[in-house]
Amino acid sequence: MSEPEITESPKLKRFLKGGLNMAPLTIAVAPWGFLVGAYALEVGLNVLEAQSLSMFVFAGTSQLVALGLIQSQAGLLAIIISTLLITSRHLLYSMALREKISPLPLRWRLGLGFLLTDELFVNTPLNDGKPLDRWFALGGGLSFYIGWNLATLAGIIAGRYIPNLTELGLDFAIVATFTAILVPMIRTPATAACVATSLSVAIICAALGWQMGLLLAIVSGMAVGFIFAQAQEYLQ
Amino acid sequence: MIALLLAILTVIVFASRYVFLEPRLPLKLGPRLQKLLGYSTPAVLAAIIGPLVFIRDETLITDISNPYLIGTAVAVALILITRNTLLTTVLSMLVFWLVH
Repeated sequence: MSEPEITESPKLKRFLKGGLNMAPLTIAVAPWGFLVGAYALEVGLNVLEAQSLSMFVFAGTSQLVALGLIQSQAGLLAIIISTLLITSRHLLYSMALREKISPLPLRWRLGLGFLLTDELFVNTPLNDGKPLDRWFALGGGLSFYIGWNLATLAGIIAGRYIPNLTELGLDFAIVATFTAILVPMIRTPATAACVATSLSVAIICAALGWQMGLLLAIVSGMAVGFIFAQAQEYLQ
Repeated sequence: MIALLLAILTVIVFASRYVFLEPRLPLKLGPRLQKLLGYSTPAVLAAIIGPLVFIRDETLITDISNPYLIGTAVAVALILITRNTLLTTVLSMLVFWLVH
């Protein structure tokens, strides 16, 4: 194989750098993974099923919502529709990363596609004009996958002995981390408008119990940011 | 039942992540669409944070002593002052736990 290398540094170094770069997020989602493991047992899944959820589905929000629906005795169809709605935001990620990932060989596309979580997307530079550093991305994605599954395992083990683990407020870890990433991103009025819109729409939809709220919030936030920037350009 | 559900969810989630990474899918992204997609990251982060902070059991929390709100306010202040992601995360979680 003689692929053109993106940087001079060896693959292993870039792989490790990717993992290190992802570490704050991997640590921050650990309480969430833990929650998913403990909650799965509470809902009635066995140990193997609970772990498989993180190993194969590998999507925190979808996993938690599916478990919530199983608990409330919702049917298969309701769970499938909710998952379709919640996971549809990943369509945006794969569209945004299309230029960078689609030229890669099949096994890279499949691997990075499987690992394409909110967190990996957030940690992958979009408009830097450079080709994707695949080893860096793989290091981030794979370390995150391993961390998520270990956290789930810990939740499964702890959940067997300690009741009411799911009411500890473990989900604040993700709020803190995402806030720390989001705030410095707000550098233009257009981004501020995007964030304000997405935030309000998501809150309103969640209060109404709409499963599609997440996607609706993201799309309207993006639209407002884009239109705001276009209007600013036009007025100048 | 659970095994079937797991298989279906796995396929749905993977398909949504992969579909536009497939080069044989005929689609060309214009500069305007790319610009629009540039707003996806902040929009995603805001959409995930919002409900976690303000919603409990599908109900809006207006109480300002909500520990999630206090923790988030501390996180916003800390990141603006320190510009340090890890420090902000750890300290605001500490504040959250104390209030919670």
